[in-house]
Amino acid sequence: MIEVTLKINGKMYTRKINPMLRLIDFIRDEIKLKGTKEGCGEGECGACTVIMNGKTVNSCLVLAASANGAEITTIEGLSNGDHLHPIQEAFIEVGAVQCGYCIPGMILSTKALLDENLDATEAQIKEGISGNLCRCTGYTKIVEGVKIAQKKIINSQEGD
Amino acid sequence: MKKRGVGFASIFYGTGYGNGFPDESRATAEIKEDGSIIIYVGVSDVGSGGLSIMWQIAIETLGVNKEFVKIKHNNTSMMHDSGTAAASRQTYNTGNAVLDACSKLKKNMMLASEEVTNLKVLYKQMVTKRIETRVEGYFKATTKEVNLETGQGNPYWPYTFGAQMVTVEVDDETGKVDILDIVSVNDAGKIVNPVLAAGQAIGGCAMGIGYAIMEEVFVNKGEIKNRNFSNYIIPTSKDVPNIKSYFVEDIEGTGPYGAKGLGEPVMIPTAPAIINAIYDAVGVRIYDLPATCDKVLLAIKNNA
Ligand code: FES
Ligand code: FES
Repeated sequence: MIEVTLKINGKMYTRKINPMLRLIDFIRDEIKLKGTKEGCGEGECGACTVIMNGKTVNSCLVLAASANGAEITTIEGLSNGDHLHPIQEAFIEVGAVQCGYCIPGMILSTKALLDENLDATEAQIKEGISGNLCRCTGYTKIVEGVKIAQKKIINSQEGD
Repeated sequence: MKKRGVGFASIFYGTGYGNGFPDESRATAEIKEDGSIIIYVGVSDVGSGGLSIMWQIAIETLGVNKEFVKIKHNNTSMMHDSGTAAASRQTYNTGNAVLDACSKLKKNMMLASEEVTNLKVLYKQMVTKRIETRVEGYFKATTKEVNLETGQGNPYWPYTFGAQMVTVEVDDETGKVDILDIVSVNDAGKIVNPVLAAGQAIGGCAMGIGYAIMEEVFVNKGEIKNRNFSNYIIPTSKDVPNIKSYFVEDIEGTGPYGAKGLGEPVMIPTAPAIINAIYDAVGVRIYDLPATCDKVLLAIKNNA
């Protein structure tokens, strides 16, 4: 057992863990944040996407021990109480969510993309979420949702 | 060289289990002391939108403000069976059961008072006048097994119709097929929820793309060989074009507010339309799905 400390959604968590524990299990089983989903467990589907030090990772492929000291954002860290993140609002408005299983990962990939490039073109959006498989939506409304989110974020920044 | 082609396909598809198989849905509607109306219905919603649809049908039928109506679902100790969320049957079949329950409750509410202003007061009036505050709704599809000798029978009712136009680009040096554009038009009767319906229609096309050019299960002695997304390939955001969805709302007299099933039919025309588009582009017919690069390339070589 080894001791690790991770900052998840702004809170510090220290746990003694098995060195083989994956980051997704740390998040879901140790911290009990169930928003992060496991689809394939082998880095193919993106359902387990979280943001680690500003970049998206597949949390099924990262050992929790190797994330020691890292700053992690999961889907639970996006909204501010009942106040949803503009990406979440946009996805709901446009009807981008069906079963919802891919959505936490999809939203975090979108956030990482827009944090880096708020003016992403449609091709860049499609590239940015291409690591997140969705069986339900056909992606069209998700891409529309990202575009609406871009507008919302830009408008809110202009308002500042 | 990359060559473009356009293909079309159209289908019809029956709602429900069909062939005389018992296809029943039940729902219960109850007005409570606090003025709320609860619809108990065994609709399971795994992203298909059944929950929203039942809520909309209930509100429309009861003619009350949407805040007062709640759906309780997925708890077998509280409600009767509404069958599976399969066979594209929830909107039509279970929607009809909800419509039935809510029409009966509405009738009872009207018996207590012609004018409904306050549901709490109305509940009290119903109790004083000994009018039922809880009613059951039921729907059974009327299909009949087909007699295979005479060809007579009524295997399904109603039917959903759909047509799609697909534009592809085929690289005749690699056999790779790219889907550039899809237009999907469906007649599922009255569209109860346009946003959810478009989601179903577009998602169906994406599944159809997978079926047409990517997805294949390899089985060896009963064991599936490609059990994960690394070797069972489904479309990503880069494989799916922006899909346009339109509806023809041909009202179905037996459906709740004219609606028919939509879930499955939306994906059926995609693969044949893609195969037709490949033929239009490079003049080869692929008879064995999926039309992967190797198959398309081989067909082009054999055709030359
Ligand atoms: S569960 Fe991690 S990529 Fe699929
Ligand atoms: S909404 Fe179901 S997998 Fe994306």
